[in-house]
Amino acid sequence: MTLRAFRRGTQSLGILLGVLGATGIGMTHLIFPGLHCYACPLAITVCPIGLMQHLIISGTVPFYFLGTVAAYGLLLGRGWCGWFCPFGTVNDLLSFRKVRFVRALSPLKLLVLVGTGVAAWRLADTWFCKLCPVGSLTASLPYLGLGVAEVNAPFLLHLATLAAVVGGMVLISRFWCRYLCPMGGLLSLFNRVSFFGLRLRGERCTECGLCARSCPMGIEPHRKINSADCIKCGECVGSCPTTALSIGFSLPGARGRDPLRSAGSPPRADGVPPRQ
Amino acid sequence: MRVLLAALVLWSAWGLALGEEVRLAPAPEGIAGDWAQPLVPLRLKATPAQAVRFDGPPLALSQWGEVTLGTAHYPFLLGVRADGQADLWVDRNRDQVLSGDELVAGARAPEYVVWELELQATPAGGEAFPYPLTVLWPVGRGYVYLLGGAPRHGELEVDGARVAFVLVDGDLDGTYGTKGDFYAVDVDGDGIIHGDPDGHERFALTEAFTVGRESYRLSRIHPGGASVTLTPTGYVPPKPPLIPGFPAPEVRFTAFPDGDPVALSDLRGKIVLVDFWATWCGPCMAELPHLRELYAAHHDAGFEIIGLSLDTSERELRTVLDTEGIPWPVAFEGRSWDNSLAQLYRVYQIPTSYLLDRDGIIRYRDLHGEELAEKLAELLAAATPEPEMAPAPVAFGLPVPILEIVVPPEVSLAAGEPQVLAVKLINTAPYDAEDVKVSVQGLPIQVELEVGTIPAFGARVAELSVAPPAAPQSGSVEVVYHYCIGDSCFQIEDAVEVAFALGEPARQPSGIPVGWILIALGVGLVLAVVLRGRGLFIIALWLVGVAGASLAVGILRGQATQAERIGSVLCTACVGIEEVRTEAPTLSPAEREAFAAFRGSAHLVVFHTPWCRSCPYAQALVAEVARANPRISYELVDADQDRERALAAGIAAAGKVVVPAILVAETGRILVGTSDLSARILAALGEIR
Repeated sequence: MTLRAFRRGTQSLGILLGVLGATGIGMTHLIFPGLHCYACPLAITVCPIGLMQHLIISGTVPFYFLGTVAAYGLLLGRGWCGWFCPFGTVNDLLSFRKVRFVRALSPLKLLVLVGTGVAAWRLADTWFCKLCPVGSLTASLPYLGLGVAEVNAPFLLHLATLAAVVGGMVLISRFWCRYLCPMGGLLSLFNRVSFFGLRLRGERCTECGLCARSCPMGIEPHRKINSADCIKCGECVGSCPTTALSIGFSLPGARGRDPLRSAGSPPRADGVPPRQ
Repeated sequence: MRVLLAALVLWSAWGLALGEEVRLAPAPEGIAGDWAQPLVPLRLKATPAQAVRFDGPPLALSQWGEVTLGTAHYPFLLGVRADGQADLWVDRNRDQVLSGDELVAGARAPEYVVWELELQATPAGGEAFPYPLTVLWPVGRGYVYLLGGAPRHGELEVDGARVAFVLVDGDLDGTYGTKGDFYAVDVDGDGIIHGDPDGHERFALTEAFTVGRESYRLSRIHPGGASVTLTPTGYVPPKPPLIPGFPAPEVRFTAFPDGDPVALSDLRGKIVLVDFWATWCGPCMAELPHLRELYAAHHDAGFEIIGLSLDTSERELRTVLDTEGIPWPVAFEGRSWDNSLAQLYRVYQIPTSYLLDRDGIIRYRDLHGEELAEKLAELLAAATPEPEMAPAPVAFGLPVPILEIVVPPEVSLAAGEPQVLAVKLINTAPYDAEDVKVSVQGLPIQVELEVGTIPAFGARVAELSVAPPAAPQSGSVEVVYHYCIGDSCFQIEDAVEVAFALGEPARQPSGIPVGWILIALGVGLVLAVVLRGRGLFIIALWLVGVAGASLAVGILRGQATQAERIGSVLCTACVGIEEVRTEAPTLSPAEREAFAAFRGSAHLVVFHTPWCRSCPYAQALVAEVARANPRISYELVDADQDRERALAAGIAAAGKVVVPAILVAETGRILVGTSDLSARILAALGEIR
């Protein structure tokens, strides 16, 4: 089985967990390791960002949320985005144009995260939920079908957000995961220190740039290995002609988990990621 | 220590020997006077709490409940047959089978069905005894009321007179002496026990009562209600009667919002209506226009109203005062039932009102509408008293301490530095304790602290900086103050004994240093960015520990359960299914008129959760609707706490309870969300035949 096929399998598991409520299992206290609206009629897990907002609104420090997210982050880091998150999978399916990552926009998702928390704290409202494209897809639209929701201003706002994000995903691969996802931002803090990650054998790397060309996030894995924006999807591993890259569980800080010392030297002419 | 123990035992034995045992028997019909029977609501469920077989006819609706009397559990089934007849089967022999002969004969009224039954209560530590019980089912509701209390009657002898005594199982649990039970004594010997919740002859089990100049308390209660033992205690002022013919307790307050001082005693010579009300109380609001008319018509002739509000929201009260144009003084404390004036008048329901004559004597209570107008006219027509007739102060007997002094019987002081001794002073009376001074005797340096005034029913903590003694020794905390009742003021000097011991320096209470978890997480994440190699691995382990600690704290604080509960509810405004409504709802004149024109009877149940931002809007709107028409009642149900009820009512979408939602009890119609809510409520009321 190829790495990609294996990943499709785990992504399917992510979708399955998202709709497990269809079996009649009620809501649990488990936090979903990705972005998935708990208002979804089929959800059995709690959305981490939604929970964070509710706990902040209720005036509690969200220890349960922090502990769970830290555990998730330490286990896979942003690997959850690449291997499990259903909305990440939607991003994947619409990844037609693998453009270069704009580093300046990288902190945007952390800004969304902080803004969500501050809005919950200061305005006592779940503002992110009212804009969340995942909520649009998995709650607003289903509830419209169930007759609970109706076409009104909040519904149209939700729909507009979803349309804009889907448009962004079509134009830029993993657009949501790259720049806007607050859960991705949170998990990115643990990316270097997580037990799941990429490893690079420096002696085998020819810096051909093929890994960068295959990366849906538009980064250069051999230079930014396990960086905050790497979703550890393993696409680069499959594209590496010299098998310099590998992915799996290893100890943080182990050999090969950090970028090449030579990072910064210009890539070979034929390895420059395509400009769109 | 042994000597102390022996003294304690002797003291207890002496106390018990002094106690008078009163034998009790089931109260004869009508002996209990004017008090209402205790009433406990009991939720019915779709399934029995224990495995019970039903050998009865087919039923269209089955609802189960269980009566617990001591250690005995009696499952019962409330069934409605296809023809609409409601029946009750009670597993009297507790064999887990409801057979045909366990059907209880009931009596049907238009709105409810009543069943009278007698069960056996088996209190722990007591013998089984017959326990009469009434089950009342408001037709169509998912609950019943249990009524009864199995009153036990006896007589005690005070100064050669026989005084009636009644012990009541107020919580209907089949055991006397438990929380919620009470007793009543005919202290004034008029042959009627004023045992209503606001009656002056009703007492909680911990309260003492006074007959003549002797006070008693209950020192022992037989769990089966066979007897009680009464022990003489220090004099306790009797409760002022709140019945016609007795003077109304003095009321003093600062009018809201103007700040003008108001005193009931200053209104002698006028007919006064003392009215306990609140803006959220539909019947109170319905009575307002009538009161305004009476006030306008008779104020110049000597009619005055004092409105005592039990509101908690200053904003709502202010809005109602402005919109309704209430001209009489209104008291507002924002403390609902804990309002000091409501406590003074022992108010347990509103509207509650007292109509006083020109002497300040209670003449009528709870008059409304035409009856109020009629009695007011009678009182106004009565002769005006001579001005020299001074108001008689309420007779409270001997001056007694009104401040309760709370301080540990043994205080451990660490050697060395001065420490703080906290003394809590609780004012248990409706009078201000003035010029309160607290001092500590028995320590190397005598300390005194001026506390000032402790308001009626208020409390204050006096913190005195004390120096520790050289050796353990006894001392005392002394409190000096005065208080006034009418024109009489009393100086009180009170003290409690304290043993000062030498102890270890005070330690901070141990607990999980949760703040450090956040700092450790932040530090770990920063280091995770900058470190490499083995350092990064160490940080990973560090973060594993922090994550575990954070998770543990979160779970211990109930956040996992909180997460599940939040996820189990669909809050329409939280997830952007509809707009958040946070404004105060207002009914247009046309809507108000339309609601007022509703001639049926409706009960609206508003389901809400604490985190739902639109729920207060729905709650307030329904309250407005109820104000517009007293035929419409409502109740608020926290769907987070009472999820089962919400699900049973069908307030759910895809297994999630939806809030805000309003259930129209009569039709089962459910209104979700807040869009066009008043119009939808109106339409739903139109469906009630």
